[in-house]
Amino acid sequence: MPEKTAQPEEQPDAPGGSGAIERVLIGQHPAIVKLRALIAKVALGDVTVLITGESGVGKEVVARAIHSLSPRRARPFVPVNCAAIPRDLLESEMFGHERGAFTGASGSRQGLFNAASGGTIFLDEIGEMPMDLQAKLLRVLEDGEVRSVGSDRAVKVDVRVIAASNHDLASSVRKGTFREDLFYRLQVVPIVVPPLRERRSDIPILVDHFLGLIAARGGGRQITVSREAMVHLWSYDWPGNVRELENMVERLAILCDDSVIDTPVLPPILISGPRPPVIEIPANLPAAGINLRMIVREIEGRYINQALKQTGGNKQAAAKLLGLKRTTFDDKLRRCGVIAPGGTDDKEEP
Amino acid sequence: MTTGGRHVDPNRSARIMVVDDDPDTSLILVRHLEREGFVPVAANSGSECLRLVRDGAIDVILLDLMMPDMDGFELCRTLKENPATAAIPVILITARDDIEARAEGMRLGVADFLGKPFSRRQLIACVRAQLEVLATERKTTATLSRIEDDGKQKRNGR
Repeated sequence: MPEKTAQPEEQPDAPGGSGAIERVLIGQHPAIVKLRALIAKVALGDVTVLITGESGVGKEVVARAIHSLSPRRARPFVPVNCAAIPRDLLESEMFGHERGAFTGASGSRQGLFNAASGGTIFLDEIGEMPMDLQAKLLRVLEDGEVRSVGSDRAVKVDVRVIAASNHDLASSVRKGTFREDLFYRLQVVPIVVPPLRERRSDIPILVDHFLGLIAARGGGRQITVSREAMVHLWSYDWPGNVRELENMVERLAILCDDSVIDTPVLPPILISGPRPPVIEIPANLPAAGINLRMIVREIEGRYINQALKQTGGNKQAAAKLLGLKRTTFDDKLRRCGVIAPGGTDDKEEP
Repeated sequence: MTTGGRHVDPNRSARIMVVDDDPDTSLILVRHLEREGFVPVAANSGSECLRLVRDGAIDVILLDLMMPDMDGFELCRTLKENPATAAIPVILITARDDIEARAEGMRLGVADFLGKPFSRRQLIACVRAQLEVLATERKTTATLSRIEDDGKQKRNGR
């Protein structure tokens, strides 16, 4: 039930809301700075918003920020994960049902749209919504009325809809799994949240933010991250995005001693990372055989790199360290130095 | 203000600058970028990089740190200190395990690292990530100005 007594934390029309948004949507990357400006602007109106971004980038954070900066902030924010609710229950969850509307419906029940009355409903993973329900949602958006399951009466609702998807809905429209008319109705304001690996410069800022939260929560022990460990955190691709980073920071904060997160506590995946292809060089010839050419290139590549590193990039000196003529060294560098040795993922195109 | 690469036609091919004083490495990078449909712009010195960056809209800079004749960090600092070039993402090419170089790069505000040796796929993925986020930022800016225009029209009573 919507709480009618809830008081707004700030005046709904207070323009100083941007301070609050910086505390929830963390980062200094230009794309994030722009995103915050857009959120602050969008919050003032009532238009439908479609948020797109990979899993873990903070789509719900964005939706909540829009709600909390909007004049609706004192009213409920109701998140609905369309993928988590069984298909045949989703309609009655969203719009409610009448007594006897279907087997087991012993009483009437209010839907989430009614629960969000005066506030915001956040429809996450909207791409998973069944087609028939998409049609009903479209009608709700156009008429501002919901019809509960088993009822012939439509009831006016005042709800702002924010939808989110972790993939490009335009491609679902092309594939025919998402209604084109609903797509255009939803994306009146499209908001794209970039993945973390596209804005790595925000990683140290986010890490500090999460460590600050941990310190505030648990007795004030402020944990720091060593320079080297931060380089590893920075270099990892974070497929689970900000959520994965947050979980990792929490885990590392528990694992570390001396209040410093250093390289030894990092899990191996953060250090070797999925990026460099590692080729194993067995001491003895395995029964399954080997790819000798690939291994020779790997060894050459490793030594060439080490030699270049030791000589600060001086190729003449690096060649000497490896007992090679400069021309031979250049030859090998061309093959190994730039392009990863044995890069099986690196098929030449015809 | 034109901050390099930020206000350009999104339909044209991305212009990627390669800063490397080694002609062999530079050539390989240029070829791979060309094959992906990008427009590579090669610079073989820091001063050439700064000159070319002023001339043309560069979207991303690939900067090789292992250049004996040039201080890549110094160049990076110069790019980041100039408001006209500060926004261009710089991808630093370093040795794969060079922690110190990466730490310094992070401090200077680089966008990403590419560890040598890298595959073509890694090179392209790294460049594409920066182009993607530039595109996202452009879209956000466009949506923002569209909303602001709508607001103005409404206030003016149409």
